Amino acid sequence: MGDRIFIEFGNYLSGLLALAGAPLLLNQVILMIVKIVGALLFILLNLMFIIWLERRLAGWFQARVGPNRVGPKGLLQALADVGKLISKEIIIPGAVDKVIFLLAPVLIFVPSLVLFAVVPFGRGMIPVDLNLGIFFFFAIGSLSIVVFFMGGWASANKYSLIGSMRAVAQMVSYEIPMVLSVLGVVMITGSLKMSSVIASQTQVWNIFTQPVAFLIYFAASVAEVNRTPFDVVEGESEIVAGPMTEYGGMAFAMWYMAEYTNVILVSAFAVTLFLGGWLAPFGWTFLPSWVWFVLKLYLLIFLHMWVRWTYPRIRVDQLMSFGWKVLVPLSLANVFVTGFGMYVFRGIGW
Amino acid sequence: MITGTDLRDRLEHDIKTDRYVLNMGPQHPATHGVFRVVLTLDGEVIVNAEAVCGYLHRGIEKLAEARTYTQVIPYTDRMDYLAAMLNNLGYVQTLEKMMGVEVPERAEYIRVICAELTRIASHLISVGTYSIEIGGITGFFYCLRDREKILDLIEMISGSRMTVSYMRVGGVSEDLPAEFLPQVKKLMKELPAAFDEYDGLITGNEIFQARTKFVGVLNPETAINYSASGPMLRASGVNWDLRKARPYSVYDRFDFEVPLGRNGDCFDRFRMRILEMRQSVRIIEQALEGLPEGPFMGKAPKVIKPPVGEMYHEIEGARGILGYYLVSDGSPKPYRMHVRRPSFINLGLLSELCRGWKLADVVAILGSVDIVLGEVDC
Amino acid sequence: MFGKGLATGLEITLKELFTPKVTIQYPEERAPLPARFHGRFTLDKEACIACGLCQNACPNRVINCVRTKVDKKNVLTGYHMDIQYCLFCGLCVEACPKGALRFSQDFEMACYHRENVPLVLLAEGDRPACDVSAAGGKEVKAGD
Repeated sequence: MGDRIFIEFGNYLSGLLALAGAPLLLNQVILMIVKIVGALLFILLNLMFIIWLERRLAGWFQARVGPNRVGPKGLLQALADVGKLISKEIIIPGAVDKVIFLLAPVLIFVPSLVLFAVVPFGRGMIPVDLNLGIFFFFAIGSLSIVVFFMGGWASANKYSLIGSMRAVAQMVSYEIPMVLSVLGVVMITGSLKMSSVIASQTQVWNIFTQPVAFLIYFAASVAEVNRTPFDVVEGESEIVAGPMTEYGGMAFAMWYMAEYTNVILVSAFAVTLFLGGWLAPFGWTFLPSWVWFVLKLYLLIFLHMWVRWTYPRIRVDQLMSFGWKVLVPLSLANVFVTGFGMYVFRGIGW
Repeated sequence: MITGTDLRDRLEHDIKTDRYVLNMGPQHPATHGVFRVVLTLDGEVIVNAEAVCGYLHRGIEKLAEARTYTQVIPYTDRMDYLAAMLNNLGYVQTLEKMMGVEVPERAEYIRVICAELTRIASHLISVGTYSIEIGGITGFFYCLRDREKILDLIEMISGSRMTVSYMRVGGVSEDLPAEFLPQVKKLMKELPAAFDEYDGLITGNEIFQARTKFVGVLNPETAINYSASGPMLRASGVNWDLRKARPYSVYDRFDFEVPLGRNGDCFDRFRMRILEMRQSVRIIEQALEGLPEGPFMGKAPKVIKPPVGEMYHEIEGARGILGYYLVSDGSPKPYRMHVRRPSFINLGLLSELCRGWKLADVVAILGSVDIVLGEVDC
Repeated sequence: MFGKGLATGLEITLKELFTPKVTIQYPEERAPLPARFHGRFTLDKEACIACGLCQNACPNRVINCVRTKVDKKNVLTGYHMDIQYCLFCGLCVEACPKGALRFSQDFEMACYHRENVPLVLLAEGDRPACDVSAAGGKEVKAGD
């Protein structure tokens, strides 16, 4: 019964509005606003939890305890951090381009938030089921690079500039293998619609039919969200903090939170594309579909954190050659093999 | 049709590019304290790296002139603060050589145990910070976790964790406490497993190897010409360890190997330190086995007044050859003290090593030189 | 094989994730201090013979012991340490012939006001009984 709790709530709300005599358009607008607020709440709550989880897991991986003072088990740590950062002054150095400098941390959130519109949170719980969902993800996702460059350029700091130049180079070279790796999934599914991607995985998850594509996607997504081993954009031992070097207070917190939002986002897409989305494994439908989605999401987020707190950072030129010389050919080969396999299987009448 | 070479030519001629200067430090996460490198960059490639030191200069050599010989001991702690026992050792041995003081057997063994414990503790910091510099933060915490156990032992002996002031002319200030021996034996059993863990997490990692192998290669001739020493020199394949080459104290009685590198790159310099720690464990185990009974302090005069003259003595410190030069005018205070600080001299190679490498490699090379700013600036 | 080192690293960190942590949660838990720990100083006023050796042993001139001469005997009337300059090297404790000056296990020396930093082990006027000035004592500077 828990499976449909959010949908039932939506239907109930819309029924209530209809009963109150609201016109259909108003009804839909209000429903949309409720959906947006729901997605925002999901993001913010998860952000708080993920920031705590990252710091706690980092501690445990590193023979430390991690934050455990604020609230039970330190769970309110993120809240305390935000409280502290809000109360700080946003320092604007003399030489910066003020408008762009302040605009960048605001805009960095936009692509991430927009992309949550196409995330299927559970059975029938996708805010907007675009028939170009996957395409939408890549199109909007690559926009964030412009904002990175804005921040780095406007900071008038050489470290920031180097960082943002690296960001551009990295994103360009990692978008391509990412798209190509997803192409295999799209070929099998025959659709760019999120709901049909999930529907096609009822028999077998795509991670089993497309293991190479999953690995490529995971590597590229780690690079996409700038985390170790691909965190050359903000490699703290070389270029201090890359584009965020000059930011302080809440402006820095925005960059920081956008980074974690992106982690949720790429993991959510990996769940949808490869891990069967909200589908329950082995027919274990005793848990609601959205719980399965969140469980799988956190499995991938844990993987992201585990990798981050284990590996050192790769050098920027090695990163580029890994992207172009390993990942791109590999993903092309994957597309070829997938096509060939589909042709053969169709031939033998599967 | 435009080929790649054409394109490059066109880029070089038509697009105006310029070099720029990047000031790295004195406040930068990877400069081990207050150290500054002025980098001239062409894109991300280093054209020139100019090291600027002196931000932590306290004038310890000058301060020593206003203090009695014994009072200088706490100041030697504060040069290479990660390996204070070794600094103590070099200083008191210079004085003993000057005055012809006999050191009892037990004191010599205690000194060796302490010196090697400190060498491990110092190398642990070096290995850990190097892991951070390559980007793997976790390795640092594992090293610190195990260094803590060594510091606890040193604290048990001397009462301080880092600035120990433990050695005296003629011996050591106090005998080993009773609870020390079982604990150090237990730790020596545990440490090799910890080193295996670092090898698994840091050394064996392919990304780490890609970052460090064949980066900042130092050939043996250059190393010798720049008077490099310690792990830095041995990584280039030059077999020169004072503990073997010119044994002091009782080092000639122990069976240990001097690890040597093949390529002289950052990876070898890093690896030297893990291998040396394994050898230090061997030395400590043998020293514990052969630890004789007897006094821990020899017959040294209460007021130390070395005869008029000068003396230079060097030992194998954690970072290389640590030499003390003392001039005495017959008074209880040194007329002049000079210290050959290995990190300072090894640092001279920085700009030579960095040229032509990428910005990220500067951090890798600087980390592999393993400087301690307290010692560089003294 | 490529990737073996990467897998070993993940294995090691995963093992650490489930290992009990060695961290000591400081204000609630305290690490045991060794007997020789170099903490704040204590002075046994009765044992002190006001010889001034500690003052001379100090490399940083931290110690100021005020002595008064009573019947040709030095009596300690004040003992101050500018502890902010102290290196905690232990040369003063080692120099004390009577074992009167010792280290304690107290390491929490942070305080809110600068004037509270110097350590007064014996303030002038604290000396009871013999009443130094009444006996016609004359203050002498140590080290003379």
